[in-house]
Amino acid sequence: MIVTSSVRAPLLATALLAARAAAADAPAVTHYVLDPARSSLEFNFLQAGAQNKGRFRTLQVSLDFSSDNLAASRLDVTIETNSVDTGDQERDDTLRSADLLAVAKFPQAHFAAAKIERTAAGYDAIGKLTIRGVTRDAHLPFTFKAASENGAPAGYMSGKTSLRRLDYGVGQGDWKATDQVGNDVGVSFALRLAAH
Amino acid sequence: MPLRNTRHRWGVLSQLFHWLIVALVIVQVTLASLADDLPPGAKKLALLARHKSVGITILMLVILRLLWRSLNLTPLLPMTLKPYERLLARFTHAALYVLLFAMPLSGWTMSSARGFPVSWFGFFTLPDLVPKNKSLYAALLTTHEALAWVLAAVVALHVVAALKHHFMLRDDVLRRMLPFTTTRQGPKA
Repeated sequence: MIVTSSVRAPLLATALLAARAAAADAPAVTHYVLDPARSSLEFNFLQAGAQNKGRFRTLQVSLDFSSDNLAASRLDVTIETNSVDTGDQERDDTLRSADLLAVAKFPQAHFAAAKIERTAAGYDAIGKLTIRGVTRDAHLPFTFKAASENGAPAGYMSGKTSLRRLDYGVGQGDWKATDQVGNDVGVSFALRLAAH
Repeated sequence: MPLRNTRHRWGVLSQLFHWLIVALVIVQVTLASLADDLPPGAKKLALLARHKSVGITILMLVILRLLWRSLNLTPLLPMTLKPYERLLARFTHAALYVLLFAMPLSGWTMSSARGFPVSWFGFFTLPDLVPKNKSLYAALLTTHEALAWVLAAVVALHVVAALKHHFMLRDDVLRRMLPFTTTRQGPKA
């Protein structure tokens, strides 16, 4: 069948109208920022055969999110690497040094995800993670619970993932060895976000 | 050679415990002094991890050794010893056992106080003996180092006494702790 231009034009117009209607129907995403006092970003790692824990005290989170409009949802996390805290001054100083996090040269780690997908357990933010100047594809599974507190919308975001520190060059020189400090680093976070 | 002790010599198992612990204590001193000379870093971490694992090994061996000792005869001290020498010998041996417990336990506690869990060669992690506590860590570090010097002094006394027995008194005291030797007293091994 030959579709003539006289038929094609109304079809196109209908399609455009439908798309516009869908965009108008899609709920607006809420913009959230971190409530630092009620949030934590922790990591754990194997040191000398035993599990050890640490956290980053300072981070910024920007989340545009609506469970009904994932297409417009975005996540952006910036971590101040200098804020590393493993509860041991000597170890923290070592972590900040040039061979590990190199905080003087790379003061921030960054995760930016422009794509958020629904999963069986919650959501998955798919994007790029930059640590110590190395950027790699990464994804962050998380759960999100919207809440309304004192009339203000808030969100609770939590999740767990792991990464390999050497993928990002965290460990130069002697620290490239993984027998004393494991390559796998577990990351867990529980964040309270406030609508902004 | 008999597995068990007799009244006149140490059995194979007692000798094994003795010399294995001697070897491991030498390893401990070596690892600790190598680590002491290093700045914080991966190499120091590796040496201290080994030091802790070997220390826990010694602790386990000392427990087994005392169990075995309690199930065995203890070879008699030579009749020729003066009462004060007997006392000194008993004191030295008791002090060695106490120190073989005190060294690993103070080290383990110190690591717990620092907030660093102790692993045994990566196979399992030991429970923390105390919660994290900075000043306790500092005190235990001093204690651990001081005890090492006390151990060195008691070991020196022990070695000098053994050599005196062997070369001056010419008795069986050293020989009966040595494998592949015959003692003059008692039945031939």
